[in-house]
Amino acid sequence: MTKLQIPIESTTLANGLRVVISPDHAAPFVTVGVYYNIGFRLEPQGRSGFAHLFEHMMFQGSENAGKMMHIKLINSSGGVLNGSTRYDVTNYFEAVPSNALERSLWLEADRMRALKVDDENLRNQRDVVKEEVRVNVFNQPYGGFPWLDLPPVANRNWANAHNFYGDFSDLDAATLGDVQNFFRTYYAPNNAVLLILGDVQPDEGFRLAKKYFESIPAGKLPPAMDASEPPQNEERRGLVEEKFGTLPALAIGYHAPKRRTADWYALAMVDQALHGGRAGRMFRSLVHDKQIAVETSGGIHYPMGDVFDYNGPMLMVTTIMHKPECSVDETIAAYDAVIREVQEKGIAADEMAPLKVKFRSDYYSTLEAGMGGYMPRFGLMHYLACFTLFDNDPALVNSVLDGFLDVTPAQAQSAAQKYLVRSNRAIVERRPVMKGAA
Amino acid sequence: MATTPQANLAAVPALAPLRPVVWPRRTQRTLSNGMQVVLVESHTIPKFDAQLLIRRGNASTARETAGLAEMTATVIRAGTSSRSLMRIEEDLRRMGADLSTSAGVDTSAISFSGLTEFSEELLGLAADLAQNASFPEAEFERERRQRLEEVKIERTTPGFLAGERIRQVLFGAHPYATVAPSEAQVAAYRREQLAACYKKLYAPGDALFLAVGAFSADRMMDQIERAFGSWRAPATPEPAHPALADVRGRRVHLVHLPGTVQAQVLIGNLAITRHHPDWMPLVLGNAVFGGAFNSRLVINIREQKGYTYSPRSAVSALRHHGYFTAAAAVRNDVVAATLTEIFYELDRMRSLPVPDDELNDTKTYLSGVFSLGLATQDGLAGQLATVYLNQLPENYLETYRDAVHALTAADVLAAARKHFDSANAQIVVVGDRAQVEEQAALFGPLEIRDAHGNLL
Repeated sequence: MTKLQIPIESTTLANGLRVVISPDHAAPFVTVGVYYNIGFRLEPQGRSGFAHLFEHMMFQGSENAGKMMHIKLINSSGGVLNGSTRYDVTNYFEAVPSNALERSLWLEADRMRALKVDDENLRNQRDVVKEEVRVNVFNQPYGGFPWLDLPPVANRNWANAHNFYGDFSDLDAATLGDVQNFFRTYYAPNNAVLLILGDVQPDEGFRLAKKYFESIPAGKLPPAMDASEPPQNEERRGLVEEKFGTLPALAIGYHAPKRRTADWYALAMVDQALHGGRAGRMFRSLVHDKQIAVETSGGIHYPMGDVFDYNGPMLMVTTIMHKPECSVDETIAAYDAVIREVQEKGIAADEMAPLKVKFRSDYYSTLEAGMGGYMPRFGLMHYLACFTLFDNDPALVNSVLDGFLDVTPAQAQSAAQKYLVRSNRAIVERRPVMKGAA
Repeated sequence: MATTPQANLAAVPALAPLRPVVWPRRTQRTLSNGMQVVLVESHTIPKFDAQLLIRRGNASTARETAGLAEMTATVIRAGTSSRSLMRIEEDLRRMGADLSTSAGVDTSAISFSGLTEFSEELLGLAADLAQNASFPEAEFERERRQRLEEVKIERTTPGFLAGERIRQVLFGAHPYATVAPSEAQVAAYRREQLAACYKKLYAPGDALFLAVGAFSADRMMDQIERAFGSWRAPATPEPAHPALADVRGRRVHLVHLPGTVQAQVLIGNLAITRHHPDWMPLVLGNAVFGGAFNSRLVINIREQKGYTYSPRSAVSALRHHGYFTAAAAVRNDVVAATLTEIFYELDRMRSLPVPDDELNDTKTYLSGVFSLGLATQDGLAGQLATVYLNQLPENYLETYRDAVHALTAADVLAAARKHFDSANAQIVVVGDRAQVEEQAALFGPLEIRDAHGNLL
């Protein structure tokens, strides 16, 4: 296996904005991203869902580009754009033909400098967000499972335990003042990273970044908020009604070790052994051998992200859709047997080797286009941003695999023994209201 | 109200000259058994992406039962004469590979990607699935149960139900009317049916093999020849399908889903395939109407009115027929308002030429996004599949952008008049009838069914 050697150049502008460039001239496109070091974890109390609502407002108009102009100018340059709100970052990104690089930097700088939005924009996007929540959660079988179900049961710190999509009453309470406050507090250049990937000469990229971004004044960042979870002493349980679907579902979450510690690398390999698709132990045992479950999935940060793109307490999640004729207790017992096996016998070398091959292969695919995937190098951009904001080291993209590939069977076993214990987990049941079992 | 986009245009940087796109160089061969192979080198990551596409799908087996090709595809990966299901999964993991088997109405597919260092072995596994699937009884039973549960969940999913209903309404007795089997149909599947379907559909003479990735095309071609060269199976002709009924007059098809807090609204009409001369102007017209973020429908019912999160329209081309749809999930009290706006925008497309600025912006959008789709391995594989499955001209990719830019407002208007058939559009609303029935009934004769298709 050859070591990754993705070219990365980076600098920090006078106002604290970090700029990371990764050139590749194979196709005449650039992927541009701005990542702000604020996600839904740290949105204000009483304003659940605000970080996401705010993300929508970033498309509603800035100093020199009014409503719809960001979208119009990117689309009419031959590009696509979007944004997303995650635990610890909010991102804005576009892929455009490389002749539109300067234009897209101008647009991103314009909305980093000043938002120009009014009450009507806010009302409009509040309505849009409510329909987004309805289409993805309230009007969908298993909507919000497990990503909205588990955190409030597993966590005690509001930062980790609240409704990330937002209670409608909180969305209704949000004001234009909140929008401008949030913008002033978190959307400062010194709380962000700009990424330019693809068909760009680094010198030219840095020159344009300076030209458009460097005059944006730095902000005074608030002191880091405490998102840590108090120690957990016993298993936590929760129940959510399933309005449409007829299969009972379980979500089980364990608090994972701190990111980039030895235990974290080790648990990631345990995660791969358990949840690595149909070769994984959960599928083999619960779906194939015992036929208790119809479907199972999971992972660290599942289903919102992966092992790399968060910066705070996180769960390793398993989801199980099980047959109605199998009880919840029976299903959990079968699940526990899988966990017990990895704790007692560990992961043998002949299983560990293929796990690592698959981990490496998945990582390459993610770099190329993964994490939502309709833009070239979206995954590479995403990891460069997270490694810059969380680790201050974008070059981790080239070396982070090593830590996983070095995990020994003994380390994996000991991580399973230490973290996959009942007193460290939460279980949420999605119980169908309708009797649909044929 | 900011209805017209505004920018300080003087400040917007102009576009630099466009850099040329490097067109994918295809290496092609037809093996002696008739399998067509198309390869493109793309050295972005040390992997490759491949698809074995069979030009036969659920439509070919519709006379037997619904979804048979799809169920067959599902069970293909559950075992071969020499590998058990778990062995297949472990082999894939060992090679860092992902594989999926699937079927739609026109096509069955074994799609896979993996590390190039294991390409020979991975091709061998794919060839094993294409030739030696054994349909183990126990795996079949397990997969059938899983499919049964999936089918139940589909019938509680508003987006699925709307998509299913419009196909039934537009395609009537044609197999394209069916997008998924019923619970009863799944329960009646037999293992022998699947084995027979496999024997009938999976033939090299109907197969197209595409691979894109970090390989030497010559070496990959040799490996494919070794893996698939000895595959022998006679192709069976595609059965004749009934002609389509002429669906005239707006009608409303309400699917009653109790307890929903939002309504799925969809309109559709029959349109055209990719071989029709109006295809390109229709694609352009669709992008202006509702096929892009910066499109009229999105600006109207999302950005101005806040009725919905993700309205979209699409022109869909199946092998023998095509259709047009526009859809939005909206809050219950704006079903009538949404339909009014959809038809307003549709009729505007049919009656007024698209202004030059808007037309040019949309052309640039379409050609840009098209080229963007060539820049990743799976994006490129998807584009190649479109070209070679539909037997489009060999220079389709290279000429696409010029073809878009040559279109005029008159071309778009003519295509819109023919294929945005607003007078005969069929309207589907999926929602709670107590909340939406009165509004839906304003738009034409109303028929109400439950999620299983039973008339209420």
